[in-house]
Amino acid sequence: MKSSILIALGGVLLAGSAFSQELVSGDRMAGRKLAGICRTCHGLEGKARIPIAPMIGGEPASYIAAQLTAFRSGEREHEMMSVVAKSLTDTQIADLAAWYSGHKVTVTLKADPTKAPELCVACHGVDGLHQIPEAPNLAGENTVYIETQIKAFRAGKRHNDIMTPIAEELDDAGLQQAADWYAAIEIAIELVPPSP
Amino acid sequence: MKKTSVVSAAVALAFCAGGAYAQNTNVPDNLEKLSNFQSTGTTEFTFVEQGGAYAEGIKKTLAGIKLPAGFKIDLYAVVPDARHMAVGPQGIVVFVGTRKNQVWAVTDRNKDRVADEVKNFAPSLRFSIPNGPCFSKDGFLYIAEQNRVLLFPAAEFFYESPDVAAFNLVAQGQLIPASEESFNHTARVCKIGPDGKIYISLGQPFNVAPPEKLELNRKWGVGGMIRLNTDGTGREVYTYGIRNSVGHDFHPVTGELWFTDNQVDGMGDDIPPGELNHQTKAGQHFGHPWYGGGKIRTAEYAKETPPADVVMPAVETVPHAADLGMSFYTGRMFPEKYRNAIFSAQHGSWNRTEPVGARVMVTTIDKDGKATMEPFAEGWIDANGEYLGRPVDVAQLRDGSILVSDDLAGALYRISYGQ
Repeated sequence: MKSSILIALGGVLLAGSAFSQELVSGDRMAGRKLAGICRTCHGLEGKARIPIAPMIGGEPASYIAAQLTAFRSGEREHEMMSVVAKSLTDTQIADLAAWYSGHKVTVTLKADPTKAPELCVACHGVDGLHQIPEAPNLAGENTVYIETQIKAFRAGKRHNDIMTPIAEELDDAGLQQAADWYAAIEIAIELVPPSP
Repeated sequence: MKKTSVVSAAVALAFCAGGAYAQNTNVPDNLEKLSNFQSTGTTEFTFVEQGGAYAEGIKKTLAGIKLPAGFKIDLYAVVPDARHMAVGPQGIVVFVGTRKNQVWAVTDRNKDRVADEVKNFAPSLRFSIPNGPCFSKDGFLYIAEQNRVLLFPAAEFFYESPDVAAFNLVAQGQLIPASEESFNHTARVCKIGPDGKIYISLGQPFNVAPPEKLELNRKWGVGGMIRLNTDGTGREVYTYGIRNSVGHDFHPVTGELWFTDNQVDGMGDDIPPGELNHQTKAGQHFGHPWYGGGKIRTAEYAKETPPADVVMPAVETVPHAADLGMSFYTGRMFPEKYRNAIFSAQHGSWNRTEPVGARVMVTTIDKDGKATMEPFAEGWIDANGEYLGRPVDVAQLRDGSILVSDDLAGALYRISYGQ
């Protein structure tokens, strides 16, 4: 079971990097330097250092770029991220997206895959890895982080054409179940240096 | 007498009823069962491995920590995501909050001043940001969460079993309006004051509180500190004009409240200062959002007139160093100059060009009430500007040594003096 997930993951990783080349042509070396302002919370490889920060290493570049752009415009608000994103240029956002999307994610699912939350798996995978470039990885995020985001969609503080109606459908028990599922998946993020 | 009967009844139920109830996933919360001294059917603890390579890595960091002469720092326990601490009045256990969903119970059974066991507390309960545990002198444990405060009678006894006696002090959704729930600025801290009331800090979730929230905040004590009786009655707002306080304690002699407060981001590396505040009477206002820290006015409220009676900080601290947990020192182990001094933790800056903080500070207060803060333990930032640890809170053990929690390394350290 575990090996088939890892094989599936290989596919996701390939797909992820293909998207990042297609949608954003950021410079990973420049992104690495800029990541000095991110690493206290997200780590240099994108593994969260504080509970309120998500794991961004190995996310789709398009997702990272979209979120930074939304923080910059005020469409998405967060006490810390709004401050950080305010001064970023389009190029800097592309560089950061290239840097963080390029790391290698490995996940280990110990639960029975048939018990995965049905509403979530099409985009976030059984193992918490994105299936579409617009979706973030959820593997290994803590329960409070995931619940906070679903509640933000439910309350209209975040908006997404796919997530908003799904969040509106979820009651507290449903969102707790989804959060528990993804939080229980173990994640390792390996720093991939910029190619020379 | 009352407490004894509660304890014995609960023990009888907990032990006799064990296993009688299957875990029912349709029940979203086991609190009701625990409040009725029923078993939840939960039998498993999560234990945290002590020792091993992980502990050795932390010890290596501790070897580089600088302290005043005669003091030493040692690893006390590996505790994932360790935040604020509550030391049991019997000295049996230290409860440690997190910004995730666990509360850890840390036990030093053989009293060699290194913990032997770290396990999760009340595993049948679903906590949400249980950052702030605090004890009353008579052994009642309180845990302040995102939007609830629970009360655990005789927690130092019950914690050995997965099922504990647990009650609402402030029920889910009653601490703040659910619409104001947030993840950031939601590390609540509680302490019992000399008046026997529980004091709970309620950070407001914005960088600068927006005008449309001010009335609601004032009513609920968001961006402030509330106090209430330990039976849940008599809630009132005690402190106004706080941005995000994550540490407070009461002066051992005067009984007055002192608290740290984290200040506005995005104004530059060197402004505004952080704050250590001193409150002398109920209802005082400490300046947010008109002031961004110290006397620095926020851009958003630059043209507004601040409240007339704003209290300025007792100490302006290093900008963005993130002063968090604090404790007055009342022990006998440390030299006399530290008696009634404040030990506090600087978590370290999160987006300053050069990181600052990540150290333990000590504040002495002279006979005129003037406070002076200086570094006490430092060395958690390496030559590359990377954090090796981020101190969160300070608590005193019964022997007069102090514990420091660190949520990056996931550990408790013990600082002792002399032998």
